[in-house]
Amino acid sequence: MSAPFNDQLVAVLPRLRRFARGLTGSAVEADDLVQAACERALSRAHQFQPGTRFDSWMFRIVQTVWIDQLRAREIRRTESEDEALGTGTDEPARRVEARMALREVQAAIAVLPAEQRLALLLVTVEGLSYREAAEVAAVPVGTIMSRLARARMALLAKLGGDALRGSTEDAKAE
Amino acid sequence: MQRPSDETLIAYLDGELDERENLEVIRALACDERLQAHAERLNASARLIRAAYDDVLREPVPERLIAAARGERALSALQRVLAHLARWRLALGERPWWIGVPVAAALAGLVVGGGLGFVAGIEQTASLTAQQDLVTAGAGTNWLDSIAGYHKLFVNAGANDRALMDVPADATGDAARKAGQLPADFRLPNLKPWSLDFQGARLLVIDGRPATQLFYTTDNKNLGPLTFVEAESSKSDLAPTFDRREDLNILYWRHHGHAYALVGTADIGYLWNIYNDIAWQLDAI
Repeated sequence: MSAPFNDQLVAVLPRLRRFARGLTGSAVEADDLVQAACERALSRAHQFQPGTRFDSWMFRIVQTVWIDQLRAREIRRTESEDEALGTGTDEPARRVEARMALREVQAAIAVLPAEQRLALLLVTVEGLSYREAAEVAAVPVGTIMSRLARARMALLAKLGGDALRGSTEDAKAE
Repeated sequence: MQRPSDETLIAYLDGELDERENLEVIRALACDERLQAHAERLNASARLIRAAYDDVLREPVPERLIAAARGERALSALQRVLAHLARWRLALGERPWWIGVPVAAALAGLVVGGGLGFVAGIEQTASLTAQQDLVTAGAGTNWLDSIAGYHKLFVNAGANDRALMDVPADATGDAARKAGQLPADFRLPNLKPWSLDFQGARLLVIDGRPATQLFYTTDNKNLGPLTFVEAESSKSDLAPTFDRREDLNILYWRHHGHAYALVGTADIGYLWNIYNDIAWQLDAI
């Protein structure tokens, strides 16, 4: 195993964790998913083509492992995470509100159909182009485009006006 | 002018349209205030969606993920275990190296080292209260977090991932012993009386030390899948102690430089009984 491959893998871990968190909706399950993806990537490192995007390759592995896991079992969400957030702190009320708004967004994303969630996370969160996202998801570009649009419109309907009013800047100010 | 579809408008905001399509959307926006407001709301929602997961990027990456990315889970563990066993063989000379020494390390994946005196050693240690104080003092929170995480990883894994185990259940037989991968007197805790079937083992690195995780499954949902972890430890001996991580019960103990843990959703009473069984079996080796 070449050192650069491992280095690339370590460097992309934060983004893989973010991607996995969006897919699973759970911190614990996300890290388990990333670990399984790392192990699979290392066992198939010879399949990676130099010159192509390493992050896209890893996103594809993460989503493949995730789908395998979805098929293998019923996902159980960790309720304790929700209980642990936003309560019993000394945070200023405005900051708590911003955090709550982001939790609302996460919750809305979590209930999207899996294929829409995948398209949304790849394009809107991870910044992949439609073509790159289509390669990761192994579907045509048009499919990504329509899934993304459905996801975006569903979120717009769910979040309503309150969540959209200026909460982004507050959240970033944390 | 025809109002662009939501799909087209979102693609425009994402910079995915060609020049001609871009111009069409720009013209439509220029003469439709409601469309402008709609586009602005879509932009605002995109900012929120991105911000929703920003915190994850600022979190420290868990050690186990870095180790996994470095490929250290199996290779480094194996190297360390082999070196460890070589030192014991030198120290013990011609005597069977596992007699009287709880070498609960793994050799090529799986050695459940118990050794004589396993239970006796525990009985000879200080009082339970004092030992529990030691547990608290040397909490090993990360260690417990890690073994709980590895347990969940096993439970979440599909059948294909389980096939990647370092030592599958069928690789612990005579062939492995004759090849020198396992000692002749190798014993695996037999938990079949508990309806637990051994599935295989993984070599891990937990808190920088080699560890072996043994997998057992069962159809009994009250007992659930179970993992038995054994690892090197520099801490003093401890009596079996109970802890929890989310929905997991953990019964762990330390003996002669090694730490052990039973992890699962099974009731603590089950774990105590299984612990007694394992201790008895290892003592009988």
